[in-house]
Amino acid sequence: MTHRSSRLYHCLVFFALLCMLIGFGLKAEPVMAAEKIIKIGTIFPLTGPVALAGQRCQAAVETAVEILNNKHPNIKVPLADKKGWLEGYKFVLVHTDSQGKPDVGKAEAERLINQEGVWALIGSYNSSVSMPASFVAERAKKIFMCGASSSAALTQRKPAMNFFFRTASTDEVESIEFVDVLKWLNKSQKNANIKTLGIIYENSVFGKNASEQAKKAAEAGGFSIVADVPFTPGATNLDSEVQTLKSKNPDALFGAVLGADYALMVKTMKKMNWVPKVSLSYCSGYQDPVIAKQLGGDADFFMGSTAYSPEFAGMMPAVAEVEKIFKTKSKGVPYDSDSIQETIAMLVLAQAIEKAKSLDPEVVAKTLYANTWLSPMSLSGEVAFAPGGQNKLALSIVTQLQGGKYKKVFPTEKADTKPVFPIKPWDKR
Amino acid sequence: MDTLLQVLLDGMLNGLVYALVAAGLCLIWGVMDVINFAHGEYLMIAMYVSYWLGFLAKVDPLLSVIAAAAFIFLLGVLTYKLIIRYTIGKSPLAALLATFGLAMFLKNFCLNRFSPNFLILSDTWLGDKTFQAGGLIIPLPQLVAGVLSLAVIVLVYALINATRFGWAVQATAMDRDAAELMGINTERIYILIFGIGGACVGVAGGIMPSYLAVHPEVGSLFGLIAFVCVAMGGFGSIPGALLAGLLVGVTEALAGFYIAPVFKYIAVFGLYLAVVFLRPKGILGW
Repeated sequence: MTHRSSRLYHCLVFFALLCMLIGFGLKAEPVMAAEKIIKIGTIFPLTGPVALAGQRCQAAVETAVEILNNKHPNIKVPLADKKGWLEGYKFVLVHTDSQGKPDVGKAEAERLINQEGVWALIGSYNSSVSMPASFVAERAKKIFMCGASSSAALTQRKPAMNFFFRTASTDEVESIEFVDVLKWLNKSQKNANIKTLGIIYENSVFGKNASEQAKKAAEAGGFSIVADVPFTPGATNLDSEVQTLKSKNPDALFGAVLGADYALMVKTMKKMNWVPKVSLSYCSGYQDPVIAKQLGGDADFFMGSTAYSPEFAGMMPAVAEVEKIFKTKSKGVPYDSDSIQETIAMLVLAQAIEKAKSLDPEVVAKTLYANTWLSPMSLSGEVAFAPGGQNKLALSIVTQLQGGKYKKVFPTEKADTKPVFPIKPWDKR
Repeated sequence: MDTLLQVLLDGMLNGLVYALVAAGLCLIWGVMDVINFAHGEYLMIAMYVSYWLGFLAKVDPLLSVIAAAAFIFLLGVLTYKLIIRYTIGKSPLAALLATFGLAMFLKNFCLNRFSPNFLILSDTWLGDKTFQAGGLIIPLPQLVAGVLSLAVIVLVYALINATRFGWAVQATAMDRDAAELMGINTERIYILIFGIGGACVGVAGGIMPSYLAVHPEVGSLFGLIAFVCVAMGGFGSIPGALLAGLLVGVTEALAGFYIAPVFKYIAVFGLYLAVVFLRPKGILGW
């Protein structure tokens, strides 16, 4: 080796050592204190007609995980201080896209469990996807946390599911609440005279179940159903659907219409110059603040059940700090009724692991059932599961869009404004 | 009676737009024997062009329809130059799979760039305006879209049947080799046909943001219905596409209203199967 090449060799060795030192310096913590990992698989519709809602649900789970993986003393939700049994653990998310399709969701659940080796699943927004995906999880004895899917059938399966837990309210509860709203309007509004009901719903597990619950509740409440209108999600138009409603002219309308279909439904109602006296929507496009903004004044005076909207901030002060993190992941869009449930679901799951001090899914599932969980991001402030996995403390408030804001109108003790009744005709807005 | 007329009118207006989307596909299919799976995505891109021009530059869809048509014409030319050219003369599956890949690319590109957000253009000239004629409510945006679609279909039909270019197109469709021997530049014909087919769907997509939300999935069902119209009307027949578009629109509206809304696509695809079964070449196919 010549003197010159030897010097070059030493320079290279020195440079390599320097790089290694810098590398160690920058990554000192992970190398010195390797964290134990809990893998959670997410299944949401990231593409397809309800992708917008799905992406926000995913952002909501990411928000919860960011809180759980780091210390956030300013956030007033359980485990934000990252102390306790979970301190040495880190949650890692593996995301998948169901496209809103049951078969794809089921296949992704199988892949997440068998290939990715996830410890639990969370999802899937569409009830029609949550149904088969949670069957896969149940068979594999993996916990399935469900935030926003609202079909009552999910928690009424026989035999009851042992590993399925849903934090949101169901369309069964909401149907009863909607009928209560109609009765209240009949009592409180002059000449309300609401007697007939129309139902419009997408032809899916969610929509069909919502319509069944609506029929049951309406019959019990003494209302007659004059229009039963299922439709194909993602249709090119909703002309015949709205024309059917218009021809039957029900006094009230219950809707289970998601995403872009909701915007199309409202636009078509305007085109056909028809509105019912009152319109109440299940978890749907109504709750989506982006749709409300896109529709502008046309969205006004419609009603729906809402577990959260920014107007509820005063009732749930803990949400504000969490929402700041959420907004960084949702391009500035605040939580809505559905997405907040996914954060709640993840936080409750973490609390159960912390309480059980175990990663045995059976032990954690039993712990989930056995306790009431603090949930400052829920309207009731707590979460507790009934057999079958339904959160028996889930609450929602009926709101009405007025000037683009979700105003609380029912129950009256929680109301902050009076409803505009009947819905203003299109030509008088 | 008013209700029946209203349902028929709604069906015909939707049907005219279906017919224009189908006419573009029909032209490409009829002349080149190429199935363009990305046709629905062309519609979606045209809607985005019109939406962004409206949103950013405040150009109304009535004007931006020209830009949308020109953009999709160029997209069609590029599709031919970069993809289809290499599949001509090979297995018919090659072009089909290539355009399927293009469809996936375009859809996912828009998902990535514009998010799955559905975008509604407000304050357009046509807005949500309607007017009454007798007992009928006539939605202005759909009426304009329908009339424009009909005008473009007539124009394309005239172009193909009453111009030297059109005769060259017909000759190329019948026998490419013979057409070349007659001095026709068939390569140029193919490029222009792909462009014109794209421009047709560009016009439909350009006007649609006046009344329909734009999102990456919006073209899927329109694309599927266009395939049905082309097969029903007869491969390569523009009057066939028009007739089939109207039939599809009216069937959809009548079945949706008089049987059940959920039945409307069952009726459309049932009609398609019946036509294909009874007359495999389509209603006006030859």
